[in-house]
Amino acid sequence: MGTALTKEIVGLLTDSRTSKVLATVDEKGFPHAVAGVPLHIGEQGNLLYLEYFESSATNKNLTRSIWFDGVVAIALSNAGQSFQIKGRPIKNHITGPLFLKFYQEIRSIQGDVNLASVWEIEPVEIIDEGQDARREYEHTKRPFFTHLDRIAR
Amino acid sequence: MARHQGNKTNSELSLAEIVAKYPDFPRLIALKIDVQRRGVHYTERALAAVDYSIHQMRSPYLFGSRDGQIKDLPESLLLRDGTTILTDPTPPDQNPYHVDLVDGTFALIDNGQFVEFTDLWPKPLYYDKKTSTGIPMSHIASARPQRLNVFQSSYCHFWAEDQGCKFCDIVTHTKQQKSEKGVPTRLKPSDISETIKEAVKESGRFTNICLTSGSVLKGKELFDQEVDFYIETLQAIGENFTTKKFPSQLISSSFNEKQLARLYENTGLMSYTSDLEVLNEEVFNWVCPGKASKLGYQEWKNRLVRAVDIFGRGNVGTGLVSGSELALPHGFKSENDALKATLEEAEYLAERGVTTVYIVWVPRPGSYFHDQQNASLEYYVQKAQGLHNLRVKYNLGVDFDDYRRCGNHPDSDLSRLL
Ligand code: SF4
Repeated sequence: MGTALTKEIVGLLTDSRTSKVLATVDEKGFPHAVAGVPLHIGEQGNLLYLEYFESSATNKNLTRSIWFDGVVAIALSNAGQSFQIKGRPIKNHITGPLFLKFYQEIRSIQGDVNLASVWEIEPVEIIDEGQDARREYEHTKRPFFTHLDRIAR
Repeated sequence: MARHQGNKTNSELSLAEIVAKYPDFPRLIALKIDVQRRGVHYTERALAAVDYSIHQMRSPYLFGSRDGQIKDLPESLLLRDGTTILTDPTPPDQNPYHVDLVDGTFALIDNGQFVEFTDLWPKPLYYDKKTSTGIPMSHIASARPQRLNVFQSSYCHFWAEDQGCKFCDIVTHTKQQKSEKGVPTRLKPSDISETIKEAVKESGRFTNICLTSGSVLKGKELFDQEVDFYIETLQAIGENFTTKKFPSQLISSSFNEKQLARLYENTGLMSYTSDLEVLNEEVFNWVCPGKASKLGYQEWKNRLVRAVDIFGRGNVGTGLVSGSELALPHGFKSENDALKATLEEAEYLAERGVTTVYIVWVPRPGSYFHDQQNASLEYYVQKAQGLHNLRVKYNLGVDFDDYRRCGNHPDSDLSRLL
């Protein structure tokens, strides 16, 4: 069951200054992370990842994930905000209106580039990884995780 | 694994049982195979939701369908991982999957149970156009989700000598297609060129062009005239591209080195396929009498190996009509034997740079084998895995015939991971 993208996430995804990282896993369990990935928001509230290269490790890992129910991670950060989204690839658009729309759009902006797939990723969990949120969490929920000098008189 | 018994199999495992037994095999590819084995029936509700302006309806093809009819039905299906299913309309009493609507979306249903959502193939824009000679462009090139098929001639000379392959219905279907739909049996290069030009205007739609037709035995040397036809057609197609070579596949008779060199040097062709259909000489002699008598199994095979010197490793392939090797009465007696023999031969070819792919055999009313039955799901799953494993072992690509450039081979669907 998916989870809805929050206002902050939508803001980060639509801000061109946001750093966007997609991490997938290969068949041996090795992580593979790619920074600066093109991510969009789909009509159903899913993430749309534009894969430019058919032969990329990410594309293969996403294929394996859709076949064997695997998950991927997406990290977004910008100006002190940092979120991690765990998601499940649920559809690979290799043709059809959505694919053609992005194919034609990126070529009109970037010139002679290819598009292999538009991967639809359903968010299943959103974790706030920002410093403030993490600090607040540890302070309230894991009070043992500190150093004594921090509370010494 | 199931055993063939008098044209029937016993102890066949269901899709769910196969998925449980082979957890490393993708369920969606197993589903594709099962849908191909059993065919589909479109419910009235599904048909009412078909939109002729966006969905591709059945267009001319080289071979017929399991119901032996040419009806105005959706062309075929796409799964959510991008897997194409080429499947036939099948009479409901033959236990096909049903395509129905669930929550307003097309879905595959098996005996009343939801299996998977599916998309219908999208219609390409050129399907609404005609050539300057007045022929519907869909009669010149038929589309798959990412590929253009050109069947320049839909007659096979083996049939004239009553030596057609026993699973094949090319001539029966061609006659039916011509009389019912007016589809030409020979295409003119100028019509083909015009159609390709129009098709590739749809930006992002196509990645490959595939040419195939029946065998032409005429010429100074066997198949010379077939080679001439292909060169003429490929040159006409090539007029539309800025590069000499363009992503393309030829599925043809087995040509000698001189003929292959002619093809490679004079056209934009990038890959070459010649189908052995079954990988065993004895069974080949029975199933493909024309190929066996004109050239023979060993020479057909040797020519494939020699083609690697011209087209390169991973750009030469052979196709199998999988399941026909088990036909009665002279096929393999068990699926285990058939699998072992097939993979051994495929390994011989893979070592030499030739890749092997299969299609799921559909016994068609217009063929000699019309009353036979295809193999078990488990057989097809093991064969797909076995052929893919050979590509992994020999580092052999199959880009020209993969899930996207073709979409009709469960084994090369697995090779998306190569
Ligand atoms: S060579 Fe065999 S399979 Fe091909 S068209 Fe002729 S009879 Fe049919």
